[in-house]
Amino acid sequence: MLSSMSSASESQEKYFKSLEREFLKCRDIANRARSLGYDPQLETEVPAANDLAERVEVLMGVPGLAEHIRKCEHLGREEASLQVAADIAEGLVGRFENKVDAIQCAIRTAAAIITEGVVAAPLEGISQVSLAKNDDGSEYIRIYFAGPIRSAGGTAEALSVLAADYVRRKMGLAPYKPRPEEIERYVEEIALYKSLQHLQYTPTDDEIRLIVKNLPVCVDGEPTEDEEVQGYRDLERVETNRVRGGIALVIAEGLILKAPKVKKHVDKLKFDGWEFLDRIIAGSKPSDESHDEKIKPKEKFLVDLIAGRPVFGHPSRAGGFRLRYGRARNTGFAAAGIHPASMVIMDDFIATGTQLKVERPGKAAAIVPVDSIDGPTVKLLNGDVVYVDSVEKALSVRKDVSEILDNGEILINYGDFLENNHVLLPSPYVVEWWEQDLALRTADAVEVRSARDAFAVSEKYGVPLHPRYTLMWRDISADDLRHLREYISREGRVKDGLRVPVEPRSKRSLELLLLPHRVRDGVVLVDDDGSFLLLRCLGLNPDLSLKDVDIAGLDPLEAVSKMSGVKVMDRALSRIGARMGRPEKSKMREMKPPVHVLFPVGEAGGAKRSLEDAAAFTKNMNDKAGLIEVEMGRRKCPECGAMTFKCRCDCGAHTEPYYWCPDCKLEGIGGRCPRCGRPATTNMPMRIDLKGIYTSTMDSLGVRGGFEILKGVQGLISSEKTPEPLEKGVLRALHGVYVFKDGTVRYDLSDVPLTHFRPRELGLSIEKLKELGYEKDVQGRPPESLDQVFELKVQDVILSHDCSSYLIKVAGFIDDMLEKLYGLPRFYNVTREEDLVGHLVIGLAPHTSAGVLGRIIGFTGASAGYAHPFFHAAKRRNCDGDEDCVMLLMDGLINFSRSYLPDRRGGKMDAPLVLSMRIDPKEVDKESHNIDVMARYPREFYLATLEYKSPKDVEKMMDLVSGRLGTPAQYEGFLFTHDTSDIAAGPTNSAYKTLGSMEEKLRAQLELGRRLRAVDERDVAERVINSHFLPDLIGNLRAFSTQQMRCVKCGARYRRPPLSGTCPKCGGRVILTVHEGAVTKYMEVSIAIARDYGVSNYTLQRLELLSLSIKSLFENDKSKQVILSDFM
Amino acid sequence: MDGMDIVKTLASRGFIVEPDALEAIKNSDPGTLDRLLSSIDPSALTISKEDVARLKAPCVKVLSDITNNSTCIGDYDEFVGYFRDRYGRLGDMMRHRISARPIESIKKKGFSRGEKAEVSVIGMVSDVRSTSNGNRLAEIEDMTGSISVLISKDKDIFETPLLLDEVVGVTGTVKDGGLLMASSIIYPDVPNTNVPRRSEEPSAAALISDVHIGSNTFLEDRWLKFIDWLNGDYEDDRSHGLVSRLKYVVVAGDLVDGIGVYPGQEKELSILDIYEQYSKAAEYFDQFPKGLNIIITPGNHDAVRQAEPQPALPEEVRRMFKHPNITFAGNPSAVEIEGVRLLLYHGRSLDDLVSSLPGASYSRPEKAMAELLKRRHLSPIYGGKVMIAPEARDHFVIDPLPDIMHSGHVHTVGVCRYRGVTLVNSGTWQAQTEFQKRMNIQPDPAKIPIVDLHTGDVSIISFGS
Repeated sequence: MLSSMSSASESQEKYFKSLEREFLKCRDIANRARSLGYDPQLETEVPAANDLAERVEVLMGVPGLAEHIRKCEHLGREEASLQVAADIAEGLVGRFENKVDAIQCAIRTAAAIITEGVVAAPLEGISQVSLAKNDDGSEYIRIYFAGPIRSAGGTAEALSVLAADYVRRKMGLAPYKPRPEEIERYVEEIALYKSLQHLQYTPTDDEIRLIVKNLPVCVDGEPTEDEEVQGYRDLERVETNRVRGGIALVIAEGLILKAPKVKKHVDKLKFDGWEFLDRIIAGSKPSDESHDEKIKPKEKFLVDLIAGRPVFGHPSRAGGFRLRYGRARNTGFAAAGIHPASMVIMDDFIATGTQLKVERPGKAAAIVPVDSIDGPTVKLLNGDVVYVDSVEKALSVRKDVSEILDNGEILINYGDFLENNHVLLPSPYVVEWWEQDLALRTADAVEVRSARDAFAVSEKYGVPLHPRYTLMWRDISADDLRHLREYISREGRVKDGLRVPVEPRSKRSLELLLLPHRVRDGVVLVDDDGSFLLLRCLGLNPDLSLKDVDIAGLDPLEAVSKMSGVKVMDRALSRIGARMGRPEKSKMREMKPPVHVLFPVGEAGGAKRSLEDAAAFTKNMNDKAGLIEVEMGRRKCPECGAMTFKCRCDCGAHTEPYYWCPDCKLEGIGGRCPRCGRPATTNMPMRIDLKGIYTSTMDSLGVRGGFEILKGVQGLISSEKTPEPLEKGVLRALHGVYVFKDGTVRYDLSDVPLTHFRPRELGLSIEKLKELGYEKDVQGRPPESLDQVFELKVQDVILSHDCSSYLIKVAGFIDDMLEKLYGLPRFYNVTREEDLVGHLVIGLAPHTSAGVLGRIIGFTGASAGYAHPFFHAAKRRNCDGDEDCVMLLMDGLINFSRSYLPDRRGGKMDAPLVLSMRIDPKEVDKESHNIDVMARYPREFYLATLEYKSPKDVEKMMDLVSGRLGTPAQYEGFLFTHDTSDIAAGPTNSAYKTLGSMEEKLRAQLELGRRLRAVDERDVAERVINSHFLPDLIGNLRAFSTQQMRCVKCGARYRRPPLSGTCPKCGGRVILTVHEGAVTKYMEVSIAIARDYGVSNYTLQRLELLSLSIKSLFENDKSKQVILSDFM
Repeated sequence: MDGMDIVKTLASRGFIVEPDALEAIKNSDPGTLDRLLSSIDPSALTISKEDVARLKAPCVKVLSDITNNSTCIGDYDEFVGYFRDRYGRLGDMMRHRISARPIESIKKKGFSRGEKAEVSVIGMVSDVRSTSNGNRLAEIEDMTGSISVLISKDKDIFETPLLLDEVVGVTGTVKDGGLLMASSIIYPDVPNTNVPRRSEEPSAAALISDVHIGSNTFLEDRWLKFIDWLNGDYEDDRSHGLVSRLKYVVVAGDLVDGIGVYPGQEKELSILDIYEQYSKAAEYFDQFPKGLNIIITPGNHDAVRQAEPQPALPEEVRRMFKHPNITFAGNPSAVEIEGVRLLLYHGRSLDDLVSSLPGASYSRPEKAMAELLKRRHLSPIYGGKVMIAPEARDHFVIDPLPDIMHSGHVHTVGVCRYRGVTLVNSGTWQAQTEFQKRMNIQPDPAKIPIVDLHTGDVSIISFGS
């Protein structure tokens, strides 16, 4: 499975080579800049890696590891990881001080291989491995898991435990024998963790006991929460009473949820002692809906509903999104498509990239516009029913909508059902299916332009009625159908179509059927085409007399088929409930507070951390301005011997960190004190002349102001406390860009997938397209029109316009930096968006440590980042609402340094410790292998859905990425089933982001709910109160009454107010950190919506009691008597 | 009303009055006869002295509680004032025992090397941690400043844990650099000489709490047995002796299970409406003998603010109760009955104590209560489980000293005496909940400590399943 060379076509190779060439060019420039010594290291600190093995080697820092991993690759990734771990533990690879270090590295390496060498979890999430003694004196392995293990995912969590056991056997160590109280401690602790943090699965007490009793290694952890266990405290072998998040994650989300996967490997390796997995698998796994069982509505996606994020459909409810199978060029990989008109009709709450929590098949999906599927159908205030098939129409009717009768379709690809192992839901009858039915009967070209055509074709070829002329017959009852038929026959008139006087029941039936009609002067008007359709389906003669058809006992669909004489299929079989998850993102990354330079200003910079303020700071009247005291790392110049904090000595040489022991006062030593053995440090409080430094920096750059403020940091938090060159900060401030904790400038975007594009969508000219190496469109024609469809190359990315304006600033900063700090030629010379096209970027996801090389090829108006699914998978993201960042390659190569990374748990996450040069689909997240890439799903597929088949049962008839791995076809020749005319259609931003206050968002959410047929707005109000407002109110009320205090002057925090009243450190004014306003902000609006929407008495009473609490806390009895009835 | 009229009135209703009972009625307040008539069991023949004694005029006096006295509006100065009040009052309790000096004056005075003069300070603990050498380093402060105190692991005082935000007196020597090396630590404590007050006549109080009416784990059968028992449904002599003396029932919080107290509570309730819960409670209390005096204070499940001190139950709830002799008070509250002082506190702070006091546990709540009494404070630790309302006066300070201290909350029964003060934690009327199962807490349901106000002794009556 692990391979260093990917199979690619010649043109694909050419593409990779061109990326590599450009990369090397950038790296040379970066290394030249670096060699001047202004940075912590003399060359770039983002090493490039060609494959998984190299990435793991770089992450683990064990020379020779990559080669060893490649030797094991034939075993498959999981088993290779176990083998490599055993080899490390036995000393075949790497050199370690002792046995424990080797075991630790072995377990971490196993986790790193399983996670493709991309995430930081192996380093950060497995904080320590140690040996401890059983009561019988034998030694066992103890692994400490920390919070970041979460980012490894359940499989890697579970397999690292398995790897530890594998290593244990090789080393001849004993299994862990827990004491009874230790077992109960796990039970209590995991339940407590569940109450504090999210767990995907809540294990039963007995499952926990079963696992802990039988696990051959001890799963331990660092305390991650402040809360302490109450029952099983002060245990001898458990070092903390606080909650250890790592154990809960590894046991619940790892060992229990991934038990089947672990079992597979255990069986293969013939391990004993893991038989308990069978009992876990048998007992715990919530059994998925079985094949024959009818699909039940699932409520889970509605849990934890948030104010301002609307529900678009209650579970499986009529009127909600109708499932349509297929993949558009911008969907799949957990992204789903809806018609852009649906986005607009939902009051703009959905935009490209907005995350929806969905009922099925997965938990969430990013939404993108696909206009080749059905749009919504709405009822207007005047009673008209309108099918909305364009954004323009949606905008023109939106203000008159009284009810959204139907949300339109949601396009979900087969691959997402396969990935989630969700049974196939019955497919509605769709055009692509109908065409295949027709093709079985005739090879003729058949056109259907009217209802008359549709019936004629069905009669002639014996195929079901065309889907476009199929109404939602199952949404009305047989009784409604009979009533409608008889009412029209009795009261209807035919004149320019059908006219029937408005009567509630028949009118409602027409609405639910989604038959477009108008209402004028109390009469329902159906146009000619619609009338023909309706009369045929209702078994009415042209003069409205009843045909003699017996429909007794038939369901509406059968009845309609019988009355019309042609087979009428179901068009709304599966509805997908959905609600808004998080809004789409396209925003520059800022730290809080924002920072221009990683240079400390201490208290002198004030709350704004302003360099200018610090440079003018005087503590006493007599002091010289700008002399400030800050803690930094000392460095020594090897040439002139000067001591400084700078990386480049004033004499021009590159300085080196200078370590000392604060206890023994020994100086100039290594990383450990030779006398006391404790870690040495470079850090020391220094008095620096900031004013002098600042002035000379400005002078050397030739800059005189030109920016509003230059923000530094209060203190450095890296282990060597190396500051950035101040010049970089000045230039960043000048260009208005902000730095992240690792020295880079970043821009965040929601991940959305794209496999094909039109040059017009990206603003690409034909020349530019050719320059980028796009030589042929999907049909093999050379580029000549902006509307041709091209297959996206796997490392090409399409960013937002807002991103481009930021990157232009960043490029300007880099050029200035090259020129003015390093004395090198400008590199980017970018003034317009087009100039950025072709430049390289690093894509990097949170919690990971490996960047992916990408190339900008264009920009869209959508607030999201379109890229090939493989590009997202290489970052270990899918497109279910995840977001990550891009940075300019040159920025990463020159400005990133490990020396800036925070010296704390998780500090190495979200940093480009290594860069993947080329994407090998085999070595990216396996989820991407389940993407289907065909132009049409076969008819057999649709038939299989009607039988609720498992997606695995039809895998053979589908063209998936997994079937193409290892061949050039893994990169090229992908197709899609549904086109879309514009990948950035619909609103630019979700209304959630454009509406003002929370109350405004909430009102808009409930108002939309009121209009959506598929939504029960009372339930929405109740859920919002229960999952958002009440916890907020209770939490803030508690926070108020147990709050900390803060000094406004120096920022010192106090657990309780000092008795002196003022700040004991600086004498400043001390204030509350939680104010009445924070506690009460949702009180009034909660009570108001509780009443307006008639929530349950229980919820209303809870609000009233809280209101009473708040009044009692914030109102003086002496000035106002409070009684409960005031709030009733 | 003279003796003859009393005898006639009673005779006309079918009762014979015993001579000493007649004497007692004549000496009581004018309403006594009416109350006697309205409360006595109609099937009784004779009226004894005990019958009258039970009726004695409302003799529950609330000494202090927050009800209608809350002045807090939640600003910073109130938080400061609240802790200053604590410091001032607890500090004053110790001033006659040590000659404390302001902290700032100690730090200002330059101590020359080797000087070993002993100094004393009174301070509030703001931080406690262990040093790498295993000693304990505390930070204590007064109004003038703060000082670090080192408690060596080799000293006896190391055994007594320091709680955050308690007020202590520390004596020791100051090292250069302003570190106080503690040699002794004192607490406000209860004087050795404390002699508890006792009632003159034989009478007793049943101490209950945590009834949790409305919960689906509320043990209604056993609760009804208790009510029957109060109404004379017993056969043993011990019960007869207790019931005949029993004049008070005290409920220290959590009368009902409440609503929305914890997430998902609705799944564990049999009554989902807070007012119906209280109305059910009122129904039960209507069945209590009319002559009993009842005191009800709230807990964290009741319909009052969660921040402590909590005021008495609101008027809407109070008026549901038809029983003639119920006193509603706040949490905490000090009450006096027959000259005996009771301190009632629901006991939320016990949660914080269990997690920060070595040796304290949910199974022995009385030990934690004794530690609180020693510190003369019901809830010293700020920022933990106890939410506070920053009132001008710290209602948690234990002053004046009670004769009986009654808590609940933890659902376990514990009784002990500390320097003459009777400490009682009453159990619960709720079976073990899911939460308690996970937390390894074994409740003591349906057990009632009954304290004899005349002797201070406590008997425990159990109402089996």
